[in-house]
Amino acid sequence: MRRFLDRYWYAYAMVLPVVVVIAVLVLYPLAQGVYFTFTNINEANIANPVLDRPATFDVVGFKNYLNVLSGDQSYGAFWGTLVRTLIWTFSCVFFHYTIGLGLALLLNRQVRGRTLYRVLLILPWAVPGFISAFAWKYMFNAQYGIINQFLRSIGLPDPVWLGQSNWALVAVIIVNVWLGVPFQMVALLGGLQSIPGDLYEAAEVDGATPWQRFVHVTLPGLRSVSSTVILLGIIWTFNMFPVIYLIADKNPNTRILVTYAFERFFSGASRDYAVASTYGVLILSLLLVFASVYRRALRKQGEVW
Amino acid sequence: MAEVSYIKASRVFSGNPPVRAVDELSLDVADGEFLVLVGPSGSGKSTALRMLAGLEDVDEGAINIGGKDVTNVPPKGRDIAMVFQSYALYPHMTVAENMGFALKLRGVNKAEIKEKVAEAAKMLDLTKYLDRKPKALSGGQRQRVAMGRAIVREPSVFLMDEPLSNLDAKLRVETRANIAALQQRLGTTTIYVTHDQVEAMTMGHRVAVLKDGLLQQCDTPRALYDRPANAFVAGFIGSPAMNLKTVPLTSEGAKLDGIVVPLSRSALDAASSEQLAEVTFGIRPEALALVPSGDEGMEMTVELVEELGADALVHGAVKIGDSSERFVVRVDGRTPPSLGQNVKVVVRDATEIHLFHPESGARLEA
Repeated sequence: MRRFLDRYWYAYAMVLPVVVVIAVLVLYPLAQGVYFTFTNINEANIANPVLDRPATFDVVGFKNYLNVLSGDQSYGAFWGTLVRTLIWTFSCVFFHYTIGLGLALLLNRQVRGRTLYRVLLILPWAVPGFISAFAWKYMFNAQYGIINQFLRSIGLPDPVWLGQSNWALVAVIIVNVWLGVPFQMVALLGGLQSIPGDLYEAAEVDGATPWQRFVHVTLPGLRSVSSTVILLGIIWTFNMFPVIYLIADKNPNTRILVTYAFERFFSGASRDYAVASTYGVLILSLLLVFASVYRRALRKQGEVW
Repeated sequence: MAEVSYIKASRVFSGNPPVRAVDELSLDVADGEFLVLVGPSGSGKSTALRMLAGLEDVDEGAINIGGKDVTNVPPKGRDIAMVFQSYALYPHMTVAENMGFALKLRGVNKAEIKEKVAEAAKMLDLTKYLDRKPKALSGGQRQRVAMGRAIVREPSVFLMDEPLSNLDAKLRVETRANIAALQQRLGTTTIYVTHDQVEAMTMGHRVAVLKDGLLQQCDTPRALYDRPANAFVAGFIGSPAMNLKTVPLTSEGAKLDGIVVPLSRSALDAASSEQLAEVTFGIRPEALALVPSGDEGMEMTVELVEELGADALVHGAVKIGDSSERFVVRVDGRTPPSLGQNVKVVVRDATEIHLFHPESGARLEA
């Protein structure tokens, strides 16, 4: 042990600050959050140093989990919200990926003004999220918004986008797709550029049509990039809070798991920290299970390169 | 099986001024012939091959395969197979899938693909590796897979773009022989690009030497060695390179370090008809010999001796006029001279002397 320390103390000293920071910023809040899920903590019984009031909440065991998982309306209709979260996540990621790939393919050839297009297409990413969210909110305005003006002008029905209907969900999906495409495009463009050009030439000499070259060279060549960006996209979208919150506010038609956790934490008659934490822990568990299943599935298919 | 012809084919890359990567190349390759395109980098040899493959446009002229004009036919319709320098194996496919890919695209049924792949794999000693991915193969094995992919197609022309340049020296020599033997056996017309003149000489039935997009000479390896058409070919073919020096001319011959090397009548006539006072004098290291110091010959100071075992290369300085010129002499490996020694060098046989025009580099006919 002594020899071990003598030999490696320097390495441990170097690592220590990071370990401390991570422990304080990540592990401690995480542990506290998990602890809260087993209590009935809320605004009324949490310790309040300003009022000089001690904590009076009690440990209630698995009651919060049972309440939430019962799917009861007063606990956020968990299962319905989960389904909506999944619809939201997969439709967003699907369009992110397909549109991103399409644009990346267009940008990966010699076109005049390629750099300009690239900058323009990355722009949505560069604009602060809340600015684009508010801009879209005005564009979706039922009466004055440019989108409905356009729809009216070509004689299509103009829905109340951000009202109490599923149109609100469609609207936030559109905005999130617009926001998320640039990342996918940049990542996939990088992937495309790493595919050696002579593979395409070999395929051409082998007699492959452009579509066959796409299927047999491009897609396999993008596999490792795709699997990573799709995983990231799913995790990010699953937890995408600002777009929904800023555009649709507390509309139950756009409620996903994270926005409900936020609602529960910051609003309502009594701010219910316990239920909000329970949602947080459930979201974390879902994503952990998903990520490990996803990775295992990829490994089974033989992630090569 | 097909013959190939380039008919004044050019590839011009836009730019200022435009670059003529391949300039009016005219070349006929017979059915079943193994033709090697050789030249230094930037000579247009790869571009010429890619034009034949259809991967590069033909800006002027035409290309025929099997008597059919394919100038504007896409690669798919040319019935060719190409082996790339990087092999360009599909990384996500197994060896068998790589080899059978072209057949699969053509819609050949699975049993037939399997049979053809197995046959080619046997020929190339790849049977054990059919289920592996390219990543799990050594360089030599990958090279053979690339060959196999071409063979399975049974094309009318094989195109090979420096297929050996990623192999180590020993494997290259081995594979060189294997490719030549394989081509002999299959009898398929083959165009092979290399920058290595040894590869060109050992493999090709005929060798076409290119420089700056222009065809310099196309002939059998022997003829290239014996009668290079110009000073460039003379210097490019043969290792070590031919000694090429500009020397003054007298009525009897070329003047080197006080001695006059007699030249043939016809060579002198050719030079005098052009009224040349100087010529580019070429002599291969193996056509020079050392003689005892008492004999008549060029005086050379030994500066470097490279011992190759069977023979040794002696680099030394010879005075020509006022300047000192470097010559290389190939001598017997057992008795090389030592460094700094003064030796006498003579031309073994006057017929082995090559004379070129000092400016144009063209051969002065002998």
